[in-house]
Amino acid sequence: MERVSSNKEKPGLMAQEAEMQKQDVSDGADEQDGAGEKKDSRAQTPGLGGEEPVASGGGGRSVEIGNFRVFSDLRLPEYDMGNCKAYAADNLRREEGGAFALVTDPTVPTRQDLIRFLTGVHIGGQIDLLDHEIAHWPLLDRKTMVLFYEKPAGGRVLVPGEKQKKIDEHDFAKVVIEPLMHVLQAVADKGLTHRNIRADNLFFGDPMAEKVVVGDCCAAPAGFNQPLVYETISRMTADPAGRGLGSVLDDLYALGMTIAALGIGHTPLEKLREQDIIDVKLSKGSFQAVVMNEKLPLALIEPVRGLLCDDSDERWGFSELHAWIDGRRAKPVQSNTERRAARSQNISGKDYYTARSLAQGIAKNWVNSLAPLRDGTVEIWLRRGLADNDRAKHMSEAIRQLQWAGADKRAAEDILIAKSIIILDPSGAIRFKGFSAMVDGLGSMLSYDVQHGRGPQRFADVVVRDIPSFWFGRQGGYSPEVQKLQQAYKNLRYYIQQQSAGYGYERCLYAIVRNQHCLSPMIEKDYVVDITQLLPALEKAAADLPDDSWPVDRHIAAFIATRLEDDVEAQLLALQNPSDEVEYSRAIISMLALVQWRHGPDNLQNLSHWVARLMEPAVKVFHSKARRERVEHEIPKLAKRGNLVELYNLINDEQERRKDQTEFITAVEEYSEAESEVFDLESSGPARLELAEKVGQQAAAFASTMIALLTVSALFLMHIW
Amino acid sequence: MARQSGSKKKSAFSGLSVVASAVLLFMVALPTFITLAVGLLPSMVAFMFDRSQGRTMSRCIFGLNFSGVAPYIMEIWQQGAQTVGVATQEIFQPVALSIMYGAAGLGWLLYLAMPPIVANVLNLSAQRRVSELRKKQRGLIKTWGDSLIKEIDRSGS
Repeated sequence: MERVSSNKEKPGLMAQEAEMQKQDVSDGADEQDGAGEKKDSRAQTPGLGGEEPVASGGGGRSVEIGNFRVFSDLRLPEYDMGNCKAYAADNLRREEGGAFALVTDPTVPTRQDLIRFLTGVHIGGQIDLLDHEIAHWPLLDRKTMVLFYEKPAGGRVLVPGEKQKKIDEHDFAKVVIEPLMHVLQAVADKGLTHRNIRADNLFFGDPMAEKVVVGDCCAAPAGFNQPLVYETISRMTADPAGRGLGSVLDDLYALGMTIAALGIGHTPLEKLREQDIIDVKLSKGSFQAVVMNEKLPLALIEPVRGLLCDDSDERWGFSELHAWIDGRRAKPVQSNTERRAARSQNISGKDYYTARSLAQGIAKNWVNSLAPLRDGTVEIWLRRGLADNDRAKHMSEAIRQLQWAGADKRAAEDILIAKSIIILDPSGAIRFKGFSAMVDGLGSMLSYDVQHGRGPQRFADVVVRDIPSFWFGRQGGYSPEVQKLQQAYKNLRYYIQQQSAGYGYERCLYAIVRNQHCLSPMIEKDYVVDITQLLPALEKAAADLPDDSWPVDRHIAAFIATRLEDDVEAQLLALQNPSDEVEYSRAIISMLALVQWRHGPDNLQNLSHWVARLMEPAVKVFHSKARRERVEHEIPKLAKRGNLVELYNLINDEQERRKDQTEFITAVEEYSEAESEVFDLESSGPARLELAEKVGQQAAAFASTMIALLTVSALFLMHIW
Repeated sequence: MARQSGSKKKSAFSGLSVVASAVLLFMVALPTFITLAVGLLPSMVAFMFDRSQGRTMSRCIFGLNFSGVAPYIMEIWQQGAQTVGVATQEIFQPVALSIMYGAAGLGWLLYLAMPPIVANVLNLSAQRRVSELRKKQRGLIKTWGDSLIKEIDRSGS
């Protein structure tokens, strides 16, 4: 029996995993049988939420991963995190304390910055991340990131569909708010965000239920596992994968919703559909939406109102929360500051009264909203209905730009709609024909799209049409975060405009998603996140892959270009022209050799043999047959030693190459001169005959004269003697 | 134009000097004059008909013709009394005429034979040079392989 603890279960790899689990898959080389009796004790962690972890299977299979032994048939569903499944784990280095392993979904990137920050660090209020490893997980039959957490002493605080253990209203600050504030503050101090604060991700940190700890926040992109209600108005319209890193203000909003959820005993607005939640939050504001539908305890109304304020500038921060905990009265906030129009704007039969709701309405009715935008109806509504001349001016500017559109009118119309959405909701997500992501969530959105069959086209459309630039232009005031994003975006635009290997969407992906594993089909299953893992993965792949394929494809080229410290632009330039086999193969060998030189390992037998087989074109870098033969003779010897650097040096001896080139140029000149001389000799027959006649006649005359002189001289001499 | 007139002047001068020499010779040594006039008759004919540049044919005939005449002139000069009778007696002997005119004929043959010989020599030397160059090219191809040919073709095209 498996209990689904997540609010939304995504299909995909984990479904396959469940199937595989049933089929009793192979254990892998390092799997061990006989977890034995331990597993029973491991399965017993009575939670304060009133449930027991369920151990499915019973074969006692285990896998050793780093310092942990993970029991692959001992599921702990209560610690599951979205698509990531939790398994019982045994800490081999430490006796006390239980641990569980969270096997992440390899098709969704993890959060590298948070993993690095939290690993091995105890932060009060945050579940302890003991370690993390990239390891082969037999149920997925591939490598993935496994996170090892300290098992919280208590169970889950709120389990959807189950009755919650009551937390006293008066203890709320001590039990819930203080620990969570501590986590948020610690994370914010590092310039990070948690983005996974929600009621059903809270556990009691002790059996007495005196403190809560918040669960995992590293296994998926920021906000990916959050129910829509926990997201701010700005971010809720983005797809889950594109909700973005956000700021501490987004975490505080989620804290507010968590307090509300714990106060009412279930996730607020859980009975509403996602679209209805969006509509009600947009039309009434977050706080109003909650209090209209749920009955909040009186004592919690003030912090919930403060934290759910939709104006991020007005939203409660840590000081206001501290003040409230200390019993001081915090400044009152207006829960909904969104201006409401005197009259509605209709899109596809639905009336909208606020700019944000209209933006969402336009995004949902892409085609039908073009007409009211183009004919200026929306602009007039902004001017007269909302009395917002500034936005109306920007809208009219956007419409005017449509008139300058060239041949691609369709694209210009799409750009108008996308810009209109940004004008109406400048802090919201970038929405473009079904694509919806925050600017700081573009990377994880791209990653999700690429790994879930949608492909990179939507992302490419947004970047090529330069929609984010317009978004940046609409952000008021100076913000270092926005500046940083803008700089990163400039690079993305450059990358996507380049077509050759090492650029394109692949480069964007690895540049903005730090923990994105390499998606090259050759090594995808090896979950290569770090450059140091690349060559060992290729070494493994080299044993099975066909000889004629190249060990560097578009993904690997982009991965190296992003993750390697050295500049490989020259090699990427050579990769632009695959028809130049010599330079192409040299560039590939050079890149791999550079990676080995930097990060090892020293011996890559299979990869070296693979590269050696593909070095035939690179050997042509030498013109001299003798040099080529020498290199060809050397290649197998060096390949045996598994050193790519030596292989590369063999074809890249600059002095030898220069000498070869100089000698070759001389040889070509000599050959050409000889050829032209031969041509001259062969074609000069008649001229030579003419010359021969002339010279012959002169020679005859000369000889005759000489004979005459000799005769006369001889006669004189005879006369004298 | 000046050079042409200069060479004309020169040839006119040399022709005049020949005529003057001949007149002088006629007056001073008539037997020698008769011997030369009869003996060098082929050369004079050749000189008249030779239109080749540098008059190589007439020079060629003259050289050997004179070699044939010179012994008889020496013979006349060696006799004490140089008379026209002795001279005519000597030169109009068939053997003497054969030697003098035969030598002129040999000169003409030399003129005819020399150009083909030179042509053959030049051809042979060209052939030897071509085979040397081909050998050098084969050596270069052996050293540099196909890339040399490709480079030549590339630069040629």
